[in-house]
Amino acid sequence: MTEPNSRLRRDPRAERDRLLVPGAARLRLDRAGTTGTPSASPVPPAAIPRMRRVAAPAFLVLAVLDVTSGVLSAHDRQLLGAAHVLAGEAGAVVVLAPPGLAGLETAGADRVLTSAPSDGYDPDGKAAAVMTAIASLDPRHVLFAESADGGDLARRVAASGHFPLAAGIEALGANFAVRPCSAGRFEERAAPARLLSVAPDRIGGYAGLPCEALALPETPWPPGCPFAATIRSGDPSQLPLTEAAFVVAAGDGLTDFDMFARLVTALGATPGASRVLCDAGLMPRDRQVGASGSVLAAECYVAVGISGAPQHLAGITGVPHVIAVNTDLHAAMVARAGLAVIADAQDVMRALLAQLSA
Amino acid sequence: MRATVLLSAGRHPVSGRASPVAVEMQAIRLAIDLGATPSGLHAGEAASAAQDALGHGLSRLVLLEGATDDPLPALLDHLRRLPPDLLLAGRRGQGGSDSGLLPYQLAHGLGWPIVADVVRLTRSGGKLIAEQALPRGARRVVTLSLPCIVTVHPAALPALPFRLAGLQGEVRSVPVAPTPATSQPELRPYRMRPKVVERSAGGGSVLVGVSAEQAASAILSELRRLKMLAG
Repeated sequence: MTEPNSRLRRDPRAERDRLLVPGAARLRLDRAGTTGTPSASPVPPAAIPRMRRVAAPAFLVLAVLDVTSGVLSAHDRQLLGAAHVLAGEAGAVVVLAPPGLAGLETAGADRVLTSAPSDGYDPDGKAAAVMTAIASLDPRHVLFAESADGGDLARRVAASGHFPLAAGIEALGANFAVRPCSAGRFEERAAPARLLSVAPDRIGGYAGLPCEALALPETPWPPGCPFAATIRSGDPSQLPLTEAAFVVAAGDGLTDFDMFARLVTALGATPGASRVLCDAGLMPRDRQVGASGSVLAAECYVAVGISGAPQHLAGITGVPHVIAVNTDLHAAMVARAGLAVIADAQDVMRALLAQLSA
Repeated sequence: MRATVLLSAGRHPVSGRASPVAVEMQAIRLAIDLGATPSGLHAGEAASAAQDALGHGLSRLVLLEGATDDPLPALLDHLRRLPPDLLLAGRRGQGGSDSGLLPYQLAHGLGWPIVADVVRLTRSGGKLIAEQALPRGARRVVTLSLPCIVTVHPAALPALPFRLAGLQGEVRSVPVAPTPATSQPELRPYRMRPKVVERSAGGGSVLVGVSAEQAASAILSELRRLKMLAG
């Protein structure tokens, strides 16, 4: 039945009858449709695409991964998320990565261009390899991570190829990119430049279907002139908390601070503390974790005798792996932790030191 | 050794007033600690921030006046005529485009090596040894041949304190040909956007009533799984 403007007319009584659950003692309507008739056009399971395939891409977006420790970092995944924002359905995302990198399909790589790095610190050689890839693929955009080495590489490529660079992108769409400028008081909004470097933790990773990660021919690494360089790792006990990778923090459940210091040294961790201990003068103020102390960017956090006040948990929201030692089963830190031990902190620390020295 | 520090038209991040950029003042200190008497180089109009840098240890200041929009040609021309042994710059400017691209463009134009994020400089023979800041407190020690360009990281030693008498240092103005105006991008007040945080929800395993030894071995095996321990 149609109205004069040929729009389908609703029949509320028929709709209600369809939702009626039969056999119920009183009126029951199943609005979720779990027991009623199936929806009008069910999609057969086989028709759902299980993989993103871009057979003939209209254009390419090159993402130069910043693989610092041999595996894909969170920043690399965000870089691929940004590349998919620019590529959309029509374009394909090409990653430039060292060979043998795992997990590129789910991270969102449509094509993979491998380039074996030369030994040593050779930023100009790496920039030349990226320039070779740009010359052979002619990508519409090239993305870099705005990290220590990634930001350096982006600027080397921009300077040697005379490309426009939008550095430190904080928001991105298919036709705009936003970056801070003027000492962070203003932001620049413009069409995405040829070269973009993506600030960390600003653009989410790729969350779509797995991509095919087709291998492209390897890009030769041009012989550069590497600098003579040696890397010296930082002393974890002296690191600022915001830079530390592995933090062991003490709370009010701790009484033996000498043993805590020995444990932190034995684990090779950076010491932290809760507000209670810093207020009492038992730990230095620059070691305080939480909303009024430092917000961590660590990989792993061990909370010894910390119950987990909301202000303390605010400091560890970004930490993926938390281990808690606490006597209270119902402490908030125990609920937050991936592994929690309900025991006295001193006993566990003594046992840890004994096993580490064994 | 002739060292030149590039000075930008800095703005204070909070007040927006002209003020020297902290990393550039730290660059002056790195050059002084190296035994050089650094001179400053600024291209562009707003020079009050650059003049304040005289108080932080610069011996003299060269202003390339007239290069308003693109300082690169004027700087390249000046540096080719009077090349220093070492050119220092902040890792990012503060007050303009803040892209940190200019030192790289100068390095490309002059054909000099460039090393970024330097926190310490020493000399060994005719070479320069630069300590570069990496994430997680690590340092990369790079040996460079002169002349070269280094950009300075905020983790370098703090700037020398301000001396009012320093402001009486020599200032030399060099008029340069104005560069054509480039199109300005759309500027808006900065809006802080929330950071992407991949939360872990917790809800992991809880060990209740285990001995301290069992708890310790569980913690150590978890730390080994996360590759947090050396052994």
